[in-house]
Amino acid sequence: MNEEGKLSIGLISCSGEACPGGTISRLATQKVLRSIRPGYHFVTICLPLFMAGGEEERNFARDYPTITIDGCEKCCALKATEALSGPVSGKVVVTDLVAGERLGEGTLATRELTTEQKAMVDQVAAAILEQVDKINREG
Amino acid sequence: MPGNSSRKVYVIPCSGIGKMYGLLGREAALKTVKELRPDKAATMCLALLVYGDNEARKEIAGARCITVDGCPKLCAAKNVEHAGGRVVERVRAVDAFRNHRGVDAGTAAHLTAAGWQIAEELAADLAAKVDRWYDAGEEQ
Repeated sequence: MNEEGKLSIGLISCSGEACPGGTISRLATQKVLRSIRPGYHFVTICLPLFMAGGEEERNFARDYPTITIDGCEKCCALKATEALSGPVSGKVVVTDLVAGERLGEGTLATRELTTEQKAMVDQVAAAILEQVDKINREG
Repeated sequence: MPGNSSRKVYVIPCSGIGKMYGLLGREAALKTVKELRPDKAATMCLALLVYGDNEARKEIAGARCITVDGCPKLCAAKNVEHAGGRVVERVRAVDAFRNHRGVDAGTAAHLTAAGWQIAEELAADLAAKVDRWYDAGEEQ
């Protein structure tokens, strides 16, 4: 709990510069960060900062429930968080939710998103919030 | 991961998810590699590189890289160097605001019209840097 009595939950998205799933995972993470969920305080962490030795970030992920959001099956965010801070409380992988051929290939700028890709962002954000609810249920 | 010839110049932004500068730098980098200089430039997931993915590290080893960072921690520049890339230019997104002081460029989640304009100016600057290093050849 933070000082306002809210449950702090860390959200660590992959950086995903080179694949559409990365952009979708980041936008979904941003959507959850901006969402109003009474009782929760969402915190995000830049993954390369976390991986490169940010002690404050690593301690946060060790001490508070953390959900990783990965854009592809390489799962950099999940693997790095588990290696540096211990088991995560929840995980979301975009390619588990959306078939690769629907995601497309190459890089994806935020203003290029199609209607279908915007729907994917909503789908991934909903999956993150499902993990939040699971953390709440399991205490 | 895009397939690249070894001559390509890598433009690698920080992951910068928490601040507007991170988003702006990322969008400028994507515009550079995708629209402005697709034949000369490529990008790579910084986290994949930092995590030590063998394929990614092999691809970046000795390659000329332009990093674009959103905050003073310079994660992209430091991590690309650590991973074996040759950082030939360290660009800071904040420097693109020299002629736009006080402008509302947006948030970490979206850019305003003014923010997109600054991102495009930064992308043009990155493209010029790509040209310089691409044309300089491998020995530079």
